[in-house]
Formats: sequence, structure tokens, C-alpha cells
Amino acid sequence: MIRDIVKPTLTLAAVAFICTLLLSYVQKFTEPAIKRQKGENQDEALKLVLPGFSVGDAQKISMAGVEFLFWIGKKKVDYKTVKGYAFITAGAGYGGNIESMVGVDESGKILGVSILNQSETPGLGARCVEVANRETLWDYIKNGMPARDYNKERRIPWFQNQFEGIDANAEVRITRRGVWNPEMRPQLLETNAISALTGATITTAAVVQSIRLGMTTLKKALSMRLPDTDGGAQ
Amino acid sequence: MSYWKEFIKGVWEHNPQLVVGLGFCPTLAITTSLSNALWMTLSTAFVLVCSNVLISLIRGIAHSHLRIPLYITIIATFVTIVDLSLNAYQPAVYRSLGIFIPLIVVNCITLGRAEEFAQKNSVIRSLLDGAGMGLGFGLTLIVLSFFREVLGANQLFGYTLIRGMEPAAVMILAPGAFFTLGLMLWAMNTINSRRRSK
Repeated sequence: MIRDIVKPTLTLAAVAFICTLLLSYVQKFTEPAIKRQKGENQDEALKLVLPGFSVGDAQKISMAGVEFLFWIGKKKVDYKTVKGYAFITAGAGYGGNIESMVGVDESGKILGVSILNQSETPGLGARCVEVANRETLWDYIKNGMPARDYNKERRIPWFQNQFEGIDANAEVRITRRGVWNPEMRPQLLETNAISALTGATITTAAVVQSIRLGMTTLKKALSMRLPDTDGGAQ
Repeated sequence: MSYWKEFIKGVWEHNPQLVVGLGFCPTLAITTSLSNALWMTLSTAFVLVCSNVLISLIRGIAHSHLRIPLYITIIATFVTIVDLSLNAYQPAVYRSLGIFIPLIVVNCITLGRAEEFAQKNSVIRSLLDGAGMGLGFGLTLIVLSFFREVLGANQLFGYTLIRGMEPAAVMILAPGAFFTLGLMLWAMNTINSRRRSK
């Protein structure tokens, strides 16, 4: 009895206790770095999806039990102040939720999309965060690695880049055109379409779906606010 | 068996994937790029070495029916350490490998080596075994991902190789992984059977 039940139980409990203790220390140690990463990600994403806007503080609204986070930005264009909105939305991809930040202008036109979190299949769905390289490996070997200045030259993944100019209020169509490049933009914009990731239609659809959902929630959130408050319904 | 042999057996004679047939899941899934393969190798090797050493240390107190829960707890602890560290200090890698870092817990190689080896052998031998198996696992990943990235994405370490060439996308997709792995198994078996017949 003691040999078969008590002793193994105690052993297992002791090992689990030691492991948990160790992990709690590791977690304490890595937590600030993880948090900083997340904060930096969010700030960078805001700059990306609302370019040139001065963005206010994050606003939280609870919608059907789910927290909805959005920002209101302002920018002066020809002596007039235009507003832009950014929000965080998520959709179910192939390997879990894909969380992205979307920036739209007052008419619902997308200013930028930035994927914050994803756990899609490497090489397939994970290519939604892939940056297209123009230089080849041989160029790098010949000319040396360029000193990368991430602040000056923003390298936007092509999948996210193609959302710029898409009307988020209308239906976003998905086409199969392979890797997107800037030359494809006018043609795709005509039909309000984006090019899907090869072999990862689920990922593509999840991002599109999450934008639609976020847009609906944003409109609800804006109409819930009093008209006279800063940045309320137009 | 000499210490050197204990270490090097994981690379060829007892290669985890190509001979023993374990760990196919990450092998097929993350070998889409060389950098993925390298980070996966480091992570798995770290978990293998640490869990092998610890399991070898506690082999006296592990009851027969307590083994599996104990081993899984230990392996999961080390995997969580890798997971948190990558998330904190290598966020790009963490994002790229995604679910396959936590999945090291159920990688057959780690549990397989614990059961097969660490619970019966000394600490030093277990350490060498873990390191060798990690290296063998990694070499398979590296060779496989080299061919898949070059042919399937026209890239190496994320840098384009030939400008304007449309890569064979099938190589980056799941079938490409099976093709390449099949060819590697065939090459391995051919070489081994030739050596044996000599």
C-alpha cells in the first residue's frame, strides 16, 4: 500500500513541484522581455497601419464578452483633419488564432494590415509574415550585407502590403495569383481582391474574415460612443 | 562501447529519423527553411541532452509505473524553458516555428531516448547519447530543409538564389517533404546494404 501508492505519489509530486518552481523562475526572468516584445510589436504595428497619424491611447470596449481594442488617429491633410482607426482582430487560421492589427480611414479603406501573432504552418500559412527579398544571395555575397536600418526602410511582408487600399466595408475577394508584387496592385484593387498564399487558403480566408469581423465591431464601438466625445461617430 | 561511439551512433547507425524512424512529425513539418531547421535542431538537442541527463540521474527512484508521467513532466519542463526563451529573445524564430516548439514534448525521440537509454545508463553516457541523437536529428533536418528551401522557395536562409525564377512550390508543400525524405531513406539504405555486403 505505502510502497505502491504513497511513495510514487510523493515522488511525482516532488518532481512536479521542483519543475514548477524552476519554470516560475524562468518565466519571471523572461516575462519582461516577452512583454517588451509585445509592446514594441504593437507600437510598430500602429505606425505601420496608421502611417503619419498621431494616434491616441488604446480604447477598450467589451463586445459580447470579448474585449475589443481600438485606436483613433488624426492627421492633417490640406488643412483638414482626417481620422483613421486602428483595431486588433483575430480569426481562426489553420494552426490557431491569427491576430492582426488593421488600420482604416473614415470611409473604410484599409491603410495597412499588420499580423501580430500567428502559429500557421511554416512555409505555408506562416508566409503571411514573409518579407519578399529583391536581392539575391549572390548580390549579398558580392556586395556584402547591407547594414539594415529597420527604422528607415520598413520591410513590409507582401501578404500584408496588398491589403492597402482595399475597401473593408465591401466583400474582399480572394484570388490565386501567387506572390503579390506592387505591379499587381491596380488590377487587384479594381475587383477589391487580394492574392492568396499558395497552399494556405485557410490562412488567407482567416485574415480576410477577421478584418470583416473587426470592421463590424469597430462600427458598433464607434456608434456606442457619445457623439460629442473626442473622435466619436462622424 | 566507447564514449565516442556512444555519441556518434546517433548520426548514422541509429539516426533517429532515417534508421529508427522516430520524430517524423517535425521533420516533415518545419523543414521548409534552413533557419527553421537550425533552430529546431538547437531546441530539440537542448531538450534531449537535459532530459536524458536528468532522467539518468533519477533512474533509481523512478518506479516502473511512474516512469512515463515523470519523464513527460521533465521533458515538458525543458520544452517550456526553450519556448519561453525563444519567445523572449528570438521572437522571429518563435513566430516562425510556432506550434512545433511546444510539440517537442510529444516528439518520440525525447521520450524514446529516455525509455530506451537514459533510464538504463550512466549520466555521462546519457549526455553523449542525447547530444549525438540531437546532432543526427538535426543533420537530417538540415539536409532535408536545404533541398526543400532551394528547390521549393528558390531561397537559402531566406535570400533569393536566382532572380525571377519560379520555384517548384510542391517542394515547400507537404508532398515535397515526403519525396525528399523518401529519397534520403533510399540513399541511406542503399549505402548501408552496400557496406554490409562488402
